[in-house]
Amino acid sequence: MDKYTLNGRIGEGAHGLVLKAYDTVNKREVALKKVLLKRIEDGIPTSVIREVKTLQQLKHPYIAELLDVFPVGLDFVMVFEYMPSGLWELLKDNDKPLNTSQIKCYIKMLLEGVAYMHENNIMHRDLKPANLLINSEGILKIADFGLSRLMWSDNTKPYSHQVATRWYRAPELLYGARFYTAGIDMWSVGCIFGEMLNNAPLFPGETDIEQLAIVLRLLGTPTSESWPEMTMLPDYNKITFPYHRGVPWEHILPDAHSDAIDLIKQILVYNSAKRLMAKQALQHVYFHSVPFPCSVKQLPKPLQGHRMYLKSKEIDTNTKLTILFKNLLSVV
Amino acid sequence: MFPLSSQKKYWMFSDENDLTALREKTNAEFIEKHGADMTPEQREEYFLSDAEERTLLRFYELQLRDFCRRFTPPMPRATVATALHYFKRFYLRNSVMDYHPKEILVTCVYLACKVEEFNVSISQFVANIKGDREKASDIILNNELLLMQQLNYNLTVHNPFRPVEGLMIDIKTRYTSLENPEKLRPHIDEFLERVFLTDSVLLYPPSQVALAATLHAASRAAANLDNYVTDTLFSRDHLAGIIEAVRKIRSMAKGVEPPSREVVRALEKKLDKCRNQENNPDSEIYKQRMQEMLDEEDLRDNEKYAKIIQDQAAHDEKILGVSKVLSPATSYTQGISIFVT
Repeated sequence: MDKYTLNGRIGEGAHGLVLKAYDTVNKREVALKKVLLKRIEDGIPTSVIREVKTLQQLKHPYIAELLDVFPVGLDFVMVFEYMPSGLWELLKDNDKPLNTSQIKCYIKMLLEGVAYMHENNIMHRDLKPANLLINSEGILKIADFGLSRLMWSDNTKPYSHQVATRWYRAPELLYGARFYTAGIDMWSVGCIFGEMLNNAPLFPGETDIEQLAIVLRLLGTPTSESWPEMTMLPDYNKITFPYHRGVPWEHILPDAHSDAIDLIKQILVYNSAKRLMAKQALQHVYFHSVPFPCSVKQLPKPLQGHRMYLKSKEIDTNTKLTILFKNLLSVV
Repeated sequence: MFPLSSQKKYWMFSDENDLTALREKTNAEFIEKHGADMTPEQREEYFLSDAEERTLLRFYELQLRDFCRRFTPPMPRATVATALHYFKRFYLRNSVMDYHPKEILVTCVYLACKVEEFNVSISQFVANIKGDREKASDIILNNELLLMQQLNYNLTVHNPFRPVEGLMIDIKTRYTSLENPEKLRPHIDEFLERVFLTDSVLLYPPSQVALAATLHAASRAAANLDNYVTDTLFSRDHLAGIIEAVRKIRSMAKGVEPPSREVVRALEKKLDKCRNQENNPDSEIYKQRMQEMLDEEDLRDNEKYAKIIQDQAAHDEKILGVSKVLSPATSYTQGISIFVT
């Protein structure tokens, strides 16, 4: 611990403080994620174990690097590269809207990071703008692997469906799927892509049910052809929505180029087996046509003060039923 | 992937002598530290030798396995294997006299459950322990961080189960002359059970352990895989090394024998006396130390609270343009030592 000098606080994490510090040995700014173990009943949280385990395995320019871990007293500290900003902040920053080349560059970095992660049999399960951090050079890095999991090739082990922040949660998860694939990350990527193109979230549901309602309204009611497995999902029979034809992508993303629309169309599909995977998506003409993805030099450089970790409010799972249905009625 | 793993990088040793040397050093260092004023004879009388430590560890490895077998809900075998791996790793650089194996054993299993995503809560976990469960849960949670640290945070363990599956698929597709390869399975499983009680997993990659298990099973089931190994699996240049490894793994698995009860009982008696009391949860010195740590933590919380007040004051000052008289609590923050401890 002696080698770190504290010089600020970044925010509050799920299990404790996130602090900014200077690493006097390696001469660099770092973020210290401190896990307070004293108040945690079951000891070191599984999310911390997953994060340590995953990040030791993943070394990639677009994935946040875990530099060090150590205990301090009864607490546990993880050291990351200091990232002054995040995609969430960039999208919030209305003064400097991103141009097409920049959007292409960010999505390309995101897809390369995701492709690498999936090649290593790891699903992130919580991709969202707030977890995509931006370093001082402007490079995007995927962070927060607290929900990440190793994929099992035999696909016999059920996973929890309570993953991914709602707006970015794949439809199979909304229907309670316990067996799912890396496709859930691609759904999130599609949502993030759409959010960048529109400068507003694509599917901003206030509750899980409303979330599904919004997706179905925009993309149309799935059919047994477009989504054969749908009727087998645990929660499929729990709720029925009125039939929707869907809204054409050109209306959902009025400002987007036809290449962008063609790409997002292939990512945001109901059937996860048909969803484009990261590696395939990178081959898309969108990344190989003018305007080309910009170079790192042309990316916005966040100022030191640009707040990161200003995470959007986490989902409140205890929402009252009345509120839940109030929102639902306004949509259906 | 094993070739890029921390297991290969930090937890594979070239031969048994390396392991012995490491364990001897661990044992000698403990004795040196705690028996500085004793004659060699007194030391021998009082402390456990490294061979005696080994005997106790062998006994506790069996205990670990039995504990996992009886566990409810039933524990997947990868979790058991990972726990045994942790246990072995821990005692390479820690003496039995420093940390009692029965305490580290349960901590290893608890951590392995988390790492292998076999999710059980601490209360569910200690329900499997006889005796004082509250104490057991304290011991586990207090040791968890220590264990992780001693494992160098290398949590991922590559076990031979997946390579076995790979071999089975390969045999079924490329060596069709073998009838009913599934008949090998019970022998493979039985062999792997024994392998985890040896040092093999610290010496050989999981793929070679899997191969040894498969070949052992073949000889048990009167099946012949020789041609598969020599013609299909390996080129001539690799063969010699692999065969030697397989031979070694099999001979180590053969020699697994539980130490006798009487020997263990005598050693445990000795251990009760010579163990480091600072790490004995029943000792006064341990209780005192834990209390100090908790107090220190509270003190740090106070410091943190003071820091927040100070930040708030600074913020107000900036916004309002007035400098306030700081509350006395801020005097805690001198040198803000939350981390600089």
